[in-house]
Order: sequence, then C-alpha cells, then structure tokens
Amino acid sequence: MLLAYDRLGGLRVALWCITGLVSAFLLLPIVFIAALSFGSSQWLVFPPPSWTMKWYQQVFSDPRWLESTWTSFQIAVLVTIASVLLALPASFALVRGSFPGKHVLRGLFMTPMVMPVVVFAVALYALFLRVGLSGTMLGFIIAHTILAFPFALIAISNSLQGFDKAIEDAAVLCGATPLQAKLRITLPAIRLGVLAAALFSFLMSWDEVVVAIFMASPTLQTLPVRIWGALRQDLSPAIAAVSTLLVLTTLAAMLAAAIVRKAIAK
Amino acid sequence: MTQASISDRPRSQWNGAKPALPALALLLAFFVLPVAGLLLRSLTEPQFGLQNYAELVATTTYARVIFNTFLVSGVVTVVALVIGYPVAWLLAIMPQRAASIVFGIIVLSMWTNLLARTYAWMVLLQRTGVINKTLMEIGIIDQPLPLVNNLIGVTIGMVYIMLPFIILPLHATMRSIDPAILNAAALCGAGRWESFRRVLLPLSAPGAAAGALMVFVMSLGYYVTPSLLGGTANMMLAGIIAQLVQSLLNWGLGGAAAFVLLVVTLSLYALQVRYLEGRGTLQGVR
Repeated sequence: MLLAYDRLGGLRVALWCITGLVSAFLLLPIVFIAALSFGSSQWLVFPPPSWTMKWYQQVFSDPRWLESTWTSFQIAVLVTIASVLLALPASFALVRGSFPGKHVLRGLFMTPMVMPVVVFAVALYALFLRVGLSGTMLGFIIAHTILAFPFALIAISNSLQGFDKAIEDAAVLCGATPLQAKLRITLPAIRLGVLAAALFSFLMSWDEVVVAIFMASPTLQTLPVRIWGALRQDLSPAIAAVSTLLVLTTLAAMLAAAIVRKAIAK
Repeated sequence: MTQASISDRPRSQWNGAKPALPALALLLAFFVLPVAGLLLRSLTEPQFGLQNYAELVATTTYARVIFNTFLVSGVVTVVALVIGYPVAWLLAIMPQRAASIVFGIIVLSMWTNLLARTYAWMVLLQRTGVINKTLMEIGIIDQPLPLVNNLIGVTIGMVYIMLPFIILPLHATMRSIDPAILNAAALCGAGRWESFRRVLLPLSAPGAAAGALMVFVMSLGYYVTPSLLGGTANMMLAGIIAQLVQSLLNWGLGGAAAFVLLVVTLSLYALQVRYLEGRGTLQGVR
C-alpha cells in the first residue's frame, strides 16, 4: 500500500507537497544568483530595478578572475593526470594482488576521502611551510592529488573488478607481453572507469576550496580561493556572475554525463 | 612466455603489491607524515604534555565551540532526515519521468560549486535580503530576523548542502523494499499509520541511519559554510582550527583541536563500517 504510487490516496498529495517544497528549496539559491547576476543593483536589491550585463563585463575584464580561472584549470588537469596514473596501478594491486595488509592499504587509500579536509589542510600546510612547497603549483597538485586519488581508485577498481582477467591471459598466451596485454586489452575494456576517474579527479580539484585556501599565496590563487577572498570582503554582484558561470559549467557537465550514459546504454 | 608468469600462482608473499607503491609513497610522505607531525606538535608545543588538550576542554570559548559544533551537526542531521525522508519515499515510487526531474534538481544542487551556493544563502538571508523582505511584506514579522552571522544561518546553509546526502542513500534503501510486504501488512489488517510505523519505518531505518551518520560526521568537520554564514562570533570546530593555525600561529592548540576532530570523525566512520556496512550509503566505496 504505502509503496504503491497509485494507492497512496491523500498521502500522495502530502508527499508531493513536501517534495515540491524541497525541490524549490534546492533550486532557490541557484535561480536566485542567476537572476542577481543580471540585476543592476550594486547592493543586490531583489527584484533588481533593471537588467544589465555589466557584472559579466567586469569579470571578463578583470585579469585576476581570468588568471585564477586559468590557474585552477591547469592544476585540475595536472591533478587529473597524476591521480589517474597513480590509481591505475594501485587498482591492479588492490583488485588482483594478494598480500598481507591489503585491507589496511585500501583503508589508508580511502582515508583522505572520509577525514575532515581542514585537518589534512592544516597538517599539509605545516609540512609545506617547512619544505618550501607552500604557495607553489607543485604544492597544490600534491594536495589535490591526494584528495582526488580515492575517487579515482574507486572508479577504476570497480570497473577492473568487472573485467574478466582470462581475456588478458589469453592475449599473453597469444604472444603479447604482460604490459602489452594490459595496455591493449585491459585498458580499453575499463576505459569508462578511467574516464569516470578522470572526471571525478578534475571536478574534485576544480571545486576544492579548503586545502586551496591554505596552499594559496597572494600571487597563486585558484578560482575558489579568489571567490573566497571576494566573499570575505563584500557580496559584490561580480561574484554572482562568476557563480552563474560555474552553474552553467555544472549543467554542461551533467548534460555531457547524461549523453555519455545514453551512448553506453545503446 | 612461461605459464607461471600468467597465472596467479603466488611467487612471493607480496604478490601483486608492487603497483601500489607509488601511491603508497605519496600518501606516506604527504598524508601520513604531516598528520602525524601535527599530532606530535599538539603534544610537544610549547612543551611536552597534554596541556593543549586540557586547555581545549577547560577554556569556555573552545568548549562552547565544540558544543556548538555537535549541536549544529545534530540539528542539521535531524532536520535533513525529517524533510528528506518523504522526498526519498516519493522518489522511490513516483513515475520515472517525474522522478528524473526531481533527481536532476538534487544532482544540480549537489554539483553546483559550494561557494556559489553559500554566497546565494549569504545574500538571501541577510537583513535586507529577500527572505526577510518577503516575510515583512506578508506581515508575519515587522522587524527583520537575524538569519545570518549566527547559528540559524549556519543550520539553514548546512541543511541545504546535506539534504542530497540523506535523500540519495535513503532512496536506494526504499527502492530495495519489496512493495508486496506493505500489501501483506494491509491484508493483515494494518492501517496506514500502523503499516508505516511497524513495517516501512523499520525496513527503511538502516538507510536512514547510514545517511544520518554520514551527514552528522560531514557536518562536524565542515569549514566553508559555517565560516561564511556563522561569522567570527559563531565558529565551529573546523573554523577554530584554521584560525588557531593561520592567524594565531598556535600550532599546539590547533593541532589538538584538529586531532579531536579527526578521532571523533574516524571513530564514527568505523562505527558506520561495522554496523551499517553495505546498507545504502557507502555503496561502491569499499
């Protein structure tokens, strides 16, 4: 009864009301900033007295916004490469290896995902101050790779788990070297897992703010650090414009993911 | 190529471990070492002993921060659970088309940049913000409510962020319940309320517990949203850690606070793994 949609009766109306309200609650801030970013009011009066594109012009003509976007992009790309290159062999070890402490190792690899980011950020910040990696690109890449690595590992391990090793063995029996077999048989077979790993790693780094706040210097800032800094000063509508652009990239990524999923289903 | 090199016959005790070494090295050097270093500093600065931990508990300011952190996390968890439960329920049974729209909204809000979402709430909740203005126009209030720079603002912002983390695992649990069981309950004469209380609620409880525990743990260590919506007077644990280290350069005390947060978080996760493993939340993680 309670799990039959057609027989809920009045309860259905109640559940729909709550779901509608929650959906509105989840959409409200997103729609709101999009609207504000086109509003003319410096003081974020809503509804805006008139509409304008000036905040977007301001963002696109400010070299600091562009610079930090470029920095974020570079770091995210390098983190993606590093995280996939580390997670690929590590997945082979975790899925196919049998050695003492394998579960401990897996637990260690997953810890950066579950521990509070601020603890990791503070700890790494202390180390980087000593070894001179604070405020460097390399520091950013190391920090974000550690955070992205568990997500990449899950994605690749899961698809490797579903791949029949006998196919790889067959290639070796036919004369391929083990490495050739892995690169030309196994890797193409688990490519979707690798793709997902790359996507997660990129997004992880692109959106990450807590560690980035500690790693950044006045001259090296990612986009989230720049937004964070701006937010602490004032609530300028330029931030609404940047936020709206970020929402658009999110929508584009969701659309791309949906298209890929459809393509696979076919 | 000999047969031995293809098969999985163990060559040594460490068979197949080698490919994990680069990742292990990175984690040892830049994860285990710094975290251990921070713990060490909490025990040795300014001198060896537990004085930092004692100060954390004995100082009213810090004790209140810890209390606030648990209070806000608890309230956020309960509120998110209460309003997320009906949504997960309806999502599990509603027609596919409508469900995919609601899912789209949930995923969009989840994937939208955290700072963008928090910024929106800062603007919405401020004294002259839309929410206060609307409430005053309708005539519910005649003075603007203080909704930001206090724990109310933090709670609203955190519930917003945590809702998907309750709805998604709970939805998975609801879907795995066989509707026939509810029909059976009805056939046996159970009314709606009784079916809910004695059948649906217990069957969905593992998913709810898993989601709630995850949300509680995530809330405990959250930094960005509490810092921006709570202001400097209403810090939570993560905020005080950052402040101690960045502005006050008190690494001993900051390290102690970080370690308290770490131990609480990891213990709660261990609890989750032990008692709720595979019941919804961390599916595919392990």
